[in-house]
Amino acid sequence: MAAVHDHGPARLSSSICSFELQSPSPEANKPRIGHLSFQDRVPIETPHYVAVSSRGAVPHLSQDMMRGNTRINAMYAAIEDFIEKATHQSQTPPVFNFPAAPHESPLRKFIALQKSALLILGPRRIPPLPCPASSTHSAISIVTALGYGMLEYTDYIEAVQKLRPDIVLGMGDVLFGHKPGFKRRDMMGDRTLAWMKGLVEGMTDEENGTPRTALFAPILPIEAEQQSYYLDALKDELSDHISGLVLYDIASIDAISPTLHHLPRLSLAPISTPHDLLNAISLGHDIFAIPFITSASDAGIALSFSFPSPTQDPNTPTALPLGIDMWSPTHATSLSPLSPNCTCYTCTHHHRAYIQHLLNAKEMLGWVLLQLHNHHIIDEFFAGVRTSIKQNSFQETRTAFHKLYTAELPEKTGQGPRVRGYQFKSEKSEPRRNPPAYRALDHGKEKLDDAKEKLAEAEKLSLSVDAGDLEERGSGEGLGEKVD
Amino acid sequence: MSTSSQSAALKFEILARCSTTKARASILTLPHGPVPLPIFQPVATQASLKGLTPVQLAQTGCNLCLNNTYHLGLKPGQETLEVIGGAHVLQGWKGNILTDSGGFQMVSLLELAKITEEGVCFSSPHDGTPMLLTPEHSISLQNTIGSDIIMQLDDVIVTTSPDAVRMKEAMQRSIRWLDRCIAAHKRPEKQNLFCIIQGGLDLEMRKICCEEMARRDTPGIAIGGLSGGEDKVSYCQVVDTCTDLLPQNKPRYVMGVGYPEDLVVSVALGADMFDCVWPTRTARFGNAITATGNLNLRHASFANDFTPIDADCSCECCRSEEKGGLGITRAYIYHVASKETAGAHLLTMHNVHYLLSLMGKVRAAIIEDRYPEFLRSYFRKAYGDMQKIPTWATTALRKVGVDLRA
Repeated sequence: MAAVHDHGPARLSSSICSFELQSPSPEANKPRIGHLSFQDRVPIETPHYVAVSSRGAVPHLSQDMMRGNTRINAMYAAIEDFIEKATHQSQTPPVFNFPAAPHESPLRKFIALQKSALLILGPRRIPPLPCPASSTHSAISIVTALGYGMLEYTDYIEAVQKLRPDIVLGMGDVLFGHKPGFKRRDMMGDRTLAWMKGLVEGMTDEENGTPRTALFAPILPIEAEQQSYYLDALKDELSDHISGLVLYDIASIDAISPTLHHLPRLSLAPISTPHDLLNAISLGHDIFAIPFITSASDAGIALSFSFPSPTQDPNTPTALPLGIDMWSPTHATSLSPLSPNCTCYTCTHHHRAYIQHLLNAKEMLGWVLLQLHNHHIIDEFFAGVRTSIKQNSFQETRTAFHKLYTAELPEKTGQGPRVRGYQFKSEKSEPRRNPPAYRALDHGKEKLDDAKEKLAEAEKLSLSVDAGDLEERGSGEGLGEKVD
Repeated sequence: MSTSSQSAALKFEILARCSTTKARASILTLPHGPVPLPIFQPVATQASLKGLTPVQLAQTGCNLCLNNTYHLGLKPGQETLEVIGGAHVLQGWKGNILTDSGGFQMVSLLELAKITEEGVCFSSPHDGTPMLLTPEHSISLQNTIGSDIIMQLDDVIVTTSPDAVRMKEAMQRSIRWLDRCIAAHKRPEKQNLFCIIQGGLDLEMRKICCEEMARRDTPGIAIGGLSGGEDKVSYCQVVDTCTDLLPQNKPRYVMGVGYPEDLVVSVALGADMFDCVWPTRTARFGNAITATGNLNLRHASFANDFTPIDADCSCECCRSEEKGGLGITRAYIYHVASKETAGAHLLTMHNVHYLLSLMGKVRAAIIEDRYPEFLRSYFRKAYGDMQKIPTWATTALRKVGVDLRA
């Protein structure tokens, strides 16, 4: 990496990214309305959400589906999804080599993200998988498709220089999965500050810099006093370079210096229900990455809430569910949409019976259709939130929402899609996540022999092979099939 | 010689014939719209084409896809289908559907099933209780599914079976079952029952079956029992023999065929319709069909290949962003293959589009009466060196007047 050039203080991203706070006032701990605009991208009205990608795609959605049938206009991608070849095989990550003009992002082209959508790059997936190894002074622990690895902050800088996303999240020394000890907490601010300085240097580098990338700085999920040195640096020497903040804890709002209140706040805090979202919005978080959208789709749950909530029917005083479990056979013959009057692709083209059938048959389309619907529900939710803030009715509407809906999403009852190593961390003595698709051949043969015996005896069969197995063994599909 | 036929729910019209080979270009009009033939039909086994929406499927150019009776009979089940109003309503598909009889599973599960004159006895996948699939039951299921083309229940045994007696019994039983299917068919004004020619690799048996079944005058005719591991020379002989005997004015459907070179040769031998799970299944394993051969995009050599899956392909994935496509590269498919289902969806779209577009080119060549040239250029591109073209293909095509090595 070349040294910082010496033509006065280099400044990042002031002109390409702007955030205007509209109402009610840019103070902390209040819901707020904002307008995030980025050169050449569709502006984002906040509060809003960014879609979370896995290996460059919103799970289950091919790029044409995302473009044509969602209103997603901002997407988060994690560097750990792209660097397994570097981490484990010392090769240049292929995405670095993607041909692109200087004003283009090779990452955007590689993942075929449409030009109008905002591309945000961070170090870890959302939600991040906890890693056994701790951070070092120069690196954080990550999980790639090939296993655990370390991400050196210098490599992260290089990735940012090469990939040129619209927004990059500064690498913070944030622990996932357990609370940092007291001594550790002391180091977190120092490390994060050092890494942030390095990143600013890299991004303002005359030769390899990224003049079209805006930087969001992490606020660490620890007390303000424990990171005060870092927070001071943010509002002083780094303030010119940062266009936004990333929060890992809802309460971190309090750690933001008043002089930085004008910056957009991206929340990566754990959020598992719309109630959590409303709480964070009420405290002034602006933009969210929401893992429960995809986890609900995976679980076969169609989100069913709206904000403002519908008027409560006095005859049914029980709380309304936040989502519908589409695995339930009660939907098997229902020709109704997932939500009444919903205008999403799924609800305007299909009905509950089909979604139920697809889940039951483990057809991938079931998750596609749920993912489209669930993103639409969240779109509408945020539109409702913004309107209510503008109309100064957010708190009342929020109270009514809490009252009407259950506290949690419904329990998952069915089986989700196949999960991969970079998507979950297995605990000791946990049952296997993916049921075996194939059975051992000799096991099959045993059954076959059994069956023959019984056939001979009783002239009827007593085999039990489930349809899933038939399909997996390749004997169930198609009129005819190639075996040659 | 008549070049068209019409029945209550189907119109078949030959538009052009190749002046050298036996290839035909035609229009098959079914209750859910016209289908240009020759055609490849993708297989949406359980009322869903492997992750694609019906709109995405239609975008590949498809207007006729398959559902499997066996699978729909299990999930969601006949009762549910009855209430919902059939498979079109279930999956929101506005195009045509063809269903099999449910009998194909006999080939693969033969050891588990017992075939009698009454039907096929097999164990319920749900609870192991014995179940009987009769011609009447198969047709009743397909009537409930409401598919535009329904298939007779046939007695299928593997073509390579050495048991000539059993083969003959299967062929003759298939004729008897056809009669039972015709009698059981409740909606001939809405659904077209196709017979299935059996007889293994025995050309004499095939001839008898062709004559007997053609006499039953079904709206369309399938050549069955193939693609079961027989050698390609025998396969071609059977197709060639059957198309010589079958009436010209009926669509001919060769079941279970989907490799590009099998398709173009079978068309030259006079077949019109095909289906196979291979293109969609192989997509899920990261394999792309291209004009220069099949690529396994999970191979590390594609990690840095930033070209489209197939540069000449006009599918959504392969077209550049400038041309209104997605600009998907081989490197990206490598990145997501077997890791994200979106990768499987992209390749499924490509493979289905590729085969449908191939059939479109085949059709145009027949209409312009340049199918022999088309075949030569197709094989030249696919194999590079004309000497590498498999002998079965050159032999089969020479028989219909095309010398590939000329």
